[in-house]
Amino acid sequence: MAGSNEVNLNESRSVVPLNTWVLISNFKLAYNLLRRADGTFNRELAEFLDRKVPSNSIPVHGVWSFDHIDQRTPGLFYRLYLQDSHQRRCAGATVIPDMDKPLSTTDIVPVIIFFHGGSFSHSSANSAIYDTFCRRLVNVSNSVVVSVNYRRSPEHRFPCAYEDGWTALEWVRSRKWLRSGRSESESESKVYVYMAGDSSGGNIVHHVAVRAAEEGIEVLGNILLHPLFGGEKRTESEIRLDGKYFVKLQDRDWYWRAFLPEGEDRDHPACNPFGPRGRSLKGLSSFPKTLVCVAGLDLLQDWQLAYANSLRSFSHHVNLLYLKDATIGFYFLPNNDHFSSLMDQINNFVNPNC
Amino acid sequence: MDELLAVVGYKVRSSDMAEVAQKLEQLEEAMGNARDGISQLSNDTVHFNPADISNWLETMINNLDVPPPPHPPLPQQHSDYDLKAIAGKAIYTTAARVKPSPAESSSSTRPLVLVDSQENGIRLVHTLMACAEAVHQNNLSLAEALVKQIGFLAVSQVGAMRKVATYFAEALARRIYGLYPENPIHHSFSDMLQIHFYETCPYLKFAHFTANQAILEAFQGKNRVHVIDFSMNQGMQWPALMQALALRPGGPPAFRLTGIGPPAADNSDHLQEVGWKLAQLAETIHVEFEYRGFVANSLADLDASMLELRPSETEAVAVNSVFELHKLLARPGAVEKVLSVVRQIRPEIVTVVEQEANHNGPGFLDRFTESLHYYSTMFDSLEGSVNSQDKVMSEVYLGKQICNVVACEGVDRVERHETLGQWRTRFGSAGFTPVHLGSNAFKQASMLLALFAGGDGYRVEENNGCLMLGWHTRPLIATSAWQLATKSVVAH
Repeated sequence: MAGSNEVNLNESRSVVPLNTWVLISNFKLAYNLLRRADGTFNRELAEFLDRKVPSNSIPVHGVWSFDHIDQRTPGLFYRLYLQDSHQRRCAGATVIPDMDKPLSTTDIVPVIIFFHGGSFSHSSANSAIYDTFCRRLVNVSNSVVVSVNYRRSPEHRFPCAYEDGWTALEWVRSRKWLRSGRSESESESKVYVYMAGDSSGGNIVHHVAVRAAEEGIEVLGNILLHPLFGGEKRTESEIRLDGKYFVKLQDRDWYWRAFLPEGEDRDHPACNPFGPRGRSLKGLSSFPKTLVCVAGLDLLQDWQLAYANSLRSFSHHVNLLYLKDATIGFYFLPNNDHFSSLMDQINNFVNPNC
Repeated sequence: MDELLAVVGYKVRSSDMAEVAQKLEQLEEAMGNARDGISQLSNDTVHFNPADISNWLETMINNLDVPPPPHPPLPQQHSDYDLKAIAGKAIYTTAARVKPSPAESSSSTRPLVLVDSQENGIRLVHTLMACAEAVHQNNLSLAEALVKQIGFLAVSQVGAMRKVATYFAEALARRIYGLYPENPIHHSFSDMLQIHFYETCPYLKFAHFTANQAILEAFQGKNRVHVIDFSMNQGMQWPALMQALALRPGGPPAFRLTGIGPPAADNSDHLQEVGWKLAQLAETIHVEFEYRGFVANSLADLDASMLELRPSETEAVAVNSVFELHKLLARPGAVEKVLSVVRQIRPEIVTVVEQEANHNGPGFLDRFTESLHYYSTMFDSLEGSVNSQDKVMSEVYLGKQICNVVACEGVDRVERHETLGQWRTRFGSAGFTPVHLGSNAFKQASMLLALFAGGDGYRVEENNGCLMLGWHTRPLIATSAWQLATKSVVAH
């Protein structure tokens, strides 16, 4: 047993830079301490270990941020990231949001609602890894990013995360100051909304987008970065890659048991939207175009590829970015080609006319 | 340090990366082999400073009693690095391995947290900023007009925004008209305000609790202990510590307390009165108690010889300061003097709680903006308070701080808050090294907050061995602990 463990560790070591390996392995180890066999979660230790950063209204590399607290839902807040080139009021070194004006009256500024990953249980919008990622995302795509601190499992199971996603979407759409676009009259400018997420965040994006399409709410595009989907069936990639690149199947199962309603299995449509209990999205014409990024060493890739194929079969537009040698979490550090490929794709996706 | 990891919150030297990777593998294997390894590491082990991955892993490896890996020894063995356990509860790292962090990174942080009502109030914030800017540029007629406008705008606001705006506007007006507030504030009034502040929100309770945790751990195994409190006020921190000492397995130590505070305006010996009350408590819980109240206009007036210190073999000392040290920054050399006196005291531990903000920058506008953001969040956190009288008094308490930050200058401006990063640099330069607060203190502080009625926005955060309490995503106060750099750790 010890021997095979060593082989696995060495394999993953050879495909990522050393500091990336240390980062992701450190998370893996910490996460192992937090999940309990009885399905509970050591939340205090999780919060102690998580590296958090405050917002910063002083621009760093041209990006500043602030937090908006939703006082109706405990723990729900949004961290907004903006470029200081957007017309915000400055005072000395600080920027203060100017909520009387739109982002731009000449250009379109995409607003990307971002849902962080963590298998529904880990991380926060103010986790350092996600704060850093969102800042890079802003600069790469000249967008505004709204990172959502949704409620997590096992304390808050399905559908809490999706509800928070919906609340975030409604909030973003109703902010006059997030509007952009050339307009002769104010009624023509709008908020150019995209949604993005990694891991569980990608799963949330899908479900919120379905509801948006059903209710006629416009979302211009979805970005799913190795999204969390699954099912009762074990796929070939799950079996082949189990335990090889930072992820064990049994851990995946734990997170689904923590998120889904008690007693449910992984064919629940939250987990398996196009499975035996899923539904077709054919005819749901306002469902947005989707960019799906799949990491070639992610054991969940069969589910993600099937997801993309299903969307195509429903006549929805899908861009698939398959990164053959990428592991999960490749985008946390910008020290590899996968990172740049992903960022290019995202930029082109949200700025289609540039 | 590896820059990419530093940006995401981890401190790993590039040269140590391979060794850290090896420790990760080693620990993963050990966790797989040990029978209750994971649950032991999760439930029993106290974790410290997770940003320092190498030390964090080392702690866990030692906890699992893992023999060293059968690899050839690394070229640089850290023989000066020694990790000793104290009664299974606390683990200290020695000075050699833990260096004080270098000067705070060049880019400062100005967190901004808004709630719903404030989006409407953002115009008010702009006007306040514009007024501050006008004051800064000495355009007093414009500033005057803006102050009046603030008054109009504030009336239409609700909640915290209105109150904060009112206090800041008043402070700006004082600056414009040259009506500086009398200083110092009447001591008994300020004490009374602080008691209300203590009741209405958890900041002081957190400060006392976390400092006491560190003091308790430092006093383990000591039979005679002495606490020197730079922030005596009404002595609210000490009943809890005394009770914890009384419950110590093996019985309480003899407890001596030296309470230091400014003179009372009415010449009453209020420090002595506080001491009497604590003596009564000590009697009921059977703790041998000795007390001395010490009046000083400034902590910088103290010398170690005044404190009747006893030999360190017989008596262990803790120095405690809650929201006091920043006042020393109003006079050049004062804080350095105090820290050198603290060194002479040779304490087991120094516990420090300070506001987590930079309200001491050289530029008025930056100070204004920083404090506007800080106190807005503070006031927001009070909005959920249950007791309205406590809340009002707390607002007055904070309002006086606002007035001091904005309207005063020179030696009168005593609310010179600085950030944890800045205090780290100061303590490091003065010859102290950090004593880390761990996951046990974190957990208990979090539980304490959960019991606190009147708002669930409070959050505890760990920051490189220190603990911070904030409201939602904005840390507002920070507790740190220190020991002398040359001091070696003694196991029991």
